[in-house]
Amino acid sequence: DALLGCHRSYRSRPTHGIGKFKYLLPKELPKRRKEKVQMKEIDAGTEYQYGDVNIQMTSYDLCLVEHFAQYVHRLCNRLSIRVNESYAMPTKTNEVLFLEERGSKMQLDAILTTHQRVVQIRGLSSTFAPILLEVIQSNQPEGVHLSVKQHTEADFKSRLKSRPELEELRAQMS
Amino acid sequence: QMALVQNQLLCSFSSCSSWLPQRVPLRGNHWQSSLLELRTSLPVRAQPKKKKKVDVKKEQAQKERMKKKIKKLEKAAPELIPIEDFITPLKYSESNRVRSLPALSPEESERRVLLLKKWSLFKQKQDEAEKKAIKALVESQQEALKELRLESEELYQAAIRRDEALFPFERDGPSYTPPLPGYDPPEGKCIDITKVYTQ
Repeated sequence: DALLGCHRSYRSRPTHGIGKFKYLLPKELPKRRKEKVQMKEIDAGTEYQYGDVNIQMTSYDLCLVEHFAQYVHRLCNRLSIRVNESYAMPTKTNEVLFLEERGSKMQLDAILTTHQRVVQIRGLSSTFAPILLEVIQSNQPEGVHLSVKQHTEADFKSRLKSRPELEELRAQMS
Repeated sequence: QMALVQNQLLCSFSSCSSWLPQRVPLRGNHWQSSLLELRTSLPVRAQPKKKKKVDVKKEQAQKERMKKKIKKLEKAAPELIPIEDFITPLKYSESNRVRSLPALSPEESERRVLLLKKWSLFKQKQDEAEKKAIKALVESQQEALKELRLESEELYQAAIRRDEALFPFERDGPSYTPPLPGYDPPEGKCIDITKVYTQ
């Protein structure tokens, strides 16, 4: 800075820019602020098009459900259906206990984890919807439960952490 | 009966710790002018008015404090629940054990490569068949709609509209074996032990 701000013009000299070194260092990317989790606008859709539709796949088997979700995503890409988001819902863990034949004690049978993946699409035309459903159903693997619904705010809120303090204060206010 | 009721009220006002069932009513509460009339228990004097003002101010201050707290909590953006599937448990990254695979013979590796090629060809044929089927479905649908349009415009418009009864759509995946007819499952229960995350 002192070199260029200097009134003495030594730019023609070969010593111009002596002492500069920042151009040699790797470029530092500007720090990205954490993007706030905000709900995107839900498209209601017109008479001839469905708005935001959630294709939810639930199963006990993680690999199956992941691969099926990937398959559905690629299928939508191929059929040029816009995919808004493709995310995973939090896993639910269940402890299964069963009553022993002789005795009244509950015995632990297994710990099952339920996994769910969601592919959100937009702009599905009314004539193409049954075809898409047919294709997805024909490729549905065993043990994977398919559910296709309209996207609602409640669906989005179920992904967020609960805030008991805020809700308590809000209940106290009203 | 009235006396007993008044007794209880008097006890609560004068903050007696033990409630003594007495026939004689306590006269600890001097706000009450007579024993029989409850409605004249609040005399018109200066002190209760002050109490009201202070209460109102206190309530207002409390409300403002609560509003400030709510604003502060609302400022923090809502967070998504972390998904346990994507977090590898530490025990898999701590150990240093390495799997030692046996060496493959050239015939075995040759066989595997040829198998992979056959499998990829099979999958490609399957994919092509699926694309063809989708194309055929769409074409036949468009043709049918064209014919319908020629027949009657009204029916065509009704057919083009979206089906509200389509969603929500639920379907269970196919099962390996059909359910056994006379199966009696043992009694048991399912407990949900999902970790609850709070912000």
